[in-house]
Amino acid sequence: MESFLLADAESVVARARQGEEAALEALYRAFEGPVYNLARRICRTKEDAEDVLQETFFEVCRSIGRYREEGSLWGWIRTIAASKALMRLRRNKYRDTDELHDELVGHLKEETHLRMDLEAALERLSEVSRAVVWLHDVEGYTHDEIAGMMGKTASFSKSQLARAHARLRRWLGEEVAA
Amino acid sequence: MIHLSMETLVGLREAGMEPGAAAAREHLDACALCRAELERLHQRVARLKALPPLRPARDRWPAVRDRVRAERRRQRARFAGLSGLAAAASVALALAVSTLRQPEAGLTPAKIEQTMARSQVLESAIDRIDPESRVLDGRTAGIAQELEDRIARVDRELEMVELTEPQSRDSDLLRLWRERVGLLDALVDVHATRASYVGL
Repeated sequence: MESFLLADAESVVARARQGEEAALEALYRAFEGPVYNLARRICRTKEDAEDVLQETFFEVCRSIGRYREEGSLWGWIRTIAASKALMRLRRNKYRDTDELHDELVGHLKEETHLRMDLEAALERLSEVSRAVVWLHDVEGYTHDEIAGMMGKTASFSKSQLARAHARLRRWLGEEVAA
Repeated sequence: MIHLSMETLVGLREAGMEPGAAAAREHLDACALCRAELERLHQRVARLKALPPLRPARDRWPAVRDRVRAERRRQRARFAGLSGLAAAASVALALAVSTLRQPEAGLTPAKIEQTMARSQVLESAIDRIDPESRVLDGRTAGIAQELEDRIARVDRELEMVELTEPQSRDSDLLRLWRERVGLLDALVDVHATRASYVGL
């Protein structure tokens, strides 16, 4: 991905390691979009996602000397971003808002057969479920990796993913009669 | 017929063989409903991946940059202080030894000590100016940044020289500390000129 986002990644990283500010800014400009997108999909608010963006790149600037080029640059930055976003969730305390929302308006939704679009349905998931869905289905992390980042078990990640998909299916009106 | 649970369907998408996967696949072959459910799951994931990317409303680079600069200055001050202590000890030792053996060879450690002291004075002057709290025009900010980058490079070289053999490092130390002082002098000039220009 970095060859697409940052054509001369090797030279930019080398200059960034020397502390050159223009190179650090080039890293920021190349990866701010994907980092923000990841953070915004996990965090509840835009403000939280922007804070994660800032924290991620501050860490990237501080630690670029420790990046060993064993994996991809984007993979390294993405893991920092995911960790920061999950840390933000822990700081804000997990909120199972989808369950609360179900109790409040579930009946109404069933009665009106209102279909939500995918963006709205994703937004409505609890923070933990949404984080697992995004990290697993979109970013391609394994359940073991997600469990490691969340400080939970792989089984926890698997059951969150299954519950999230069951809810998405219902909210998107995809259920079929058996 | 008992259909596959969502947990089983989600597990079927994993690369490895989940427990019970063989039986689940057997069921899939015979059950059109579960095949349709799995297909919907695949489509949902494909739609998730195709969601339009979200972009930040504000540029956060200036905030990142300011924190990096502040951190760099703190590290520099800490580095100058620590290496100052270490170097002061080795300079004192070198002075004692060289004065006994070759009086003229004691000049380099003494010069290093003087240059380091000058460097600390200039660091304090920059701290008093507090550049992070000031707004610079683009050109001045560019010059200040170039100087900051070069000081950071000199600091990295100094760290490397500190690891070399004592007998070969004095001339390198003196050269680098002098370069550092020259750069700090220029940086003070940049900030002081700007400060007086805007009447601060």
